[in-house]
This record gives sequence, structure tokens and C-alpha cells, in this order.
Amino acid sequence: MNIYCELALSFLKIGFFGFGGGFAMIPLMQSAAVHQTGWLTSSQFGAAIALGQVTPGPVAISATFIGYKVAGVAGALTATVAIFAPSLLCMYLLEKFYLKVRGKEITQAIMHGVLPVVAAIILTAAISLGRQSMHSLWQTAVIVAAAALAISRKVSFGLLVAGSMAVGVLMAFSGR
Amino acid sequence: MNMEKSHELSPAAEVLPTTWNIVRVWLTIGAIGFGGGYAVLDLIHSELVVKYKWISEQRFENMTALSEMGPGALTVNLLAGIAYRLGGVGAMIAATIALILPSFLLIVALAGVFLAWENNPVVKSAMEGLTAGVVGLLIAVVWDMVKRIPGHWCCFAVGLAALLLGLAFPLNPIWLVLLGGMAGAAKVLVVSLFARKSAKEGPNS
Repeated sequence: MNIYCELALSFLKIGFFGFGGGFAMIPLMQSAAVHQTGWLTSSQFGAAIALGQVTPGPVAISATFIGYKVAGVAGALTATVAIFAPSLLCMYLLEKFYLKVRGKEITQAIMHGVLPVVAAIILTAAISLGRQSMHSLWQTAVIVAAAALAISRKVSFGLLVAGSMAVGVLMAFSGR
Repeated sequence: MNMEKSHELSPAAEVLPTTWNIVRVWLTIGAIGFGGGYAVLDLIHSELVVKYKWISEQRFENMTALSEMGPGALTVNLLAGIAYRLGGVGAMIAATIALILPSFLLIVALAGVFLAWENNPVVKSAMEGLTAGVVGLLIAVVWDMVKRIPGHWCCFAVGLAALLLGLAFPLNPIWLVLLGGMAGAAKVLVVSLFARKSAKEGPNS
């Protein structure tokens, strides 16, 4: 299959099933781009997510990085359009049928079933990313510090990611 | 006639912007909306509800609730929904392109630089730091979500089951999301079946 078709199909699927917010798409992207196809190494995937955090705009923009890595600027464009198109289609449909789904017990129940799963798959993605790209002790310290600071909400996500990158650069020069 | 009148009298007084106006504002939000999610939600609120008054407070809240039901980023969904309300399908597509354009260009530029320098030892070490930071962030995101999950034992059971399945098998997480949705729907069906049964039996016993 043509590489652009493959990219488009993968990211359309991610776009359609990324229920539960932008972060819910991260495990789906990891599964598609790292585990199933090997388009990216685990640490390249880490960079893709990190870049999505330090730039403005939604998390799903990491799809742009993946598309670029696979097939250049045209690939970036394909992946980006594919991951956002389902959002637009679904919002259009939700707008049309809002009165029919609003307040329905079943709609809420489905979301209640999906939310815990989303938390679980994000945790799984974090564990897999950590296992495959941790090489030194200082990284563990960065994980703990980043998680604690993010939970306390004192530092923005973009700053945290930039800070962890700075720690990495310092460690390179300290000749560990 | 009557409907027209009530529309005129409605206090919302929303002034419809042109598509160009929408694109301009969405482009700005795309360029300065760092942090994603609820941080950007505040920005959207202050721009569209407070500053431009393009949508009412009530409509903004309804739209946010609606966006949470759609797949993908909350902010993208919300802004797409608002753009659709303001100017139809064309405005929705144009506005979303405008919203994503700044980060798209930035990522493409950074990705080129990054991939060219990937094997440099300093860049490598920087990456190791970045990845660790991202893992930390993801843990924080999970923490936040767990706090938001309704405190019913069913929800925790579903989450735990998904976690164990995901760790034990190389499953595509899409299947887990679908299973979660089905579990939620099944619970309601079972509960409503029981409710109907006991309602039938109720008067007899």
C-alpha cells in the first residue's frame, strides 16, 4: 500500500477513536507508529510528544512529526489532516443531533466506561515509553520531578518539557 | 413570526463575524494557546465570550459539554463547533486549518532540525531528558483523570482490567477503548432491565 494511504488510514483511525481528550490519542499513536509499524523508535516517539507539548496548539499535533519522519512534508500534511478530520466530522454530527444525545443515560454511561480505559492506556503508554528509553538514573529523577510538578500545577507542561530537556543537555556536558 | 420576535428579544445579542474574522482569531489562539486542554479553554473563553461576545456564556458551556463527547482534543472540538455555529461548514474547516497552522509549521521546522542532529551526543542526551519529562507528564495526566473518574467500583474495575490487558498483551488500545464503551453501555442496560423487572414485581409483592 502507498505510504500516504497507510499514514492516512492509521491517523484517521486514531482520530476517530481518540475519545477522552487529546492525551487519549498518545497511546493510540504509540501503538500505530512504534509498536505496529516501527515508523519511529521509542525515543523518537518521546521527542514527537515532547515537541507537541512545547509548541502551542493541541497534543495531537505530534502526528505532524510522525508524518514528517515517515514521508517528509507531504507525509506531515497527510497525517495532520487525517488526525483532525474525524474531530470535525464528529462535531458536525454532534451539533446536528445534539438534542437527541444530550442527557441520555446511555451516552453518559458509555463515557463512564471509556474514561477509566483511557486512563489505563495512557499509563500503559507511559510505562512502555519509560521502559524502552530509560538508560540512566537521572532520568528516573526527572520522571518523578516532572510528575510531581505537573500534579501540583505550579509549572506549565511546556515549561516542564523544556526543563527536562535542559537537564538532559546538562547531563551530556557533565560527562556522566 | 412569534419565533422571530423572541429571537430579537433574546439577550444573547450575538454579532455574527465574517469567516475572515473567525480565521484571524483562530489563528491567534493557535499561535498563543500553549499548554493545551483546560489552560487553552480559559483563553478561548476570554477571547470569544468576553472580548468578542460571539457566543453567550450559556452556549459556551453547552458547547464544551458537547466537545467532551467527541473524539480528539477538547479545544479543537470546541473551536470547530463554535466556528460551525458562527459560519457553517466552510468556516469550520477554514478556522480549524488556521488554528493548527502555527503549530504545524513549527513542528515541521523543528522535526527537520531534530532528525538531522539525532545522533549528536548532546541532542541524544537532551532527548533522554525530554522523554523522561514526557513520561512524568503522562503520569500526571493519568493522576488527574483518575481523580475525575466517577467513584463507582465498576469504573475502577474497568480501568484496572484495561491496564492489566494492556500490559499483558500487545493489544491495539483502540480495542480497549471500544470494550470500555461497551462495558459502560452494558451496565446501563443491565441496570434498566433490573429496574423494569422490579417495577413489574413491585405492585404484586
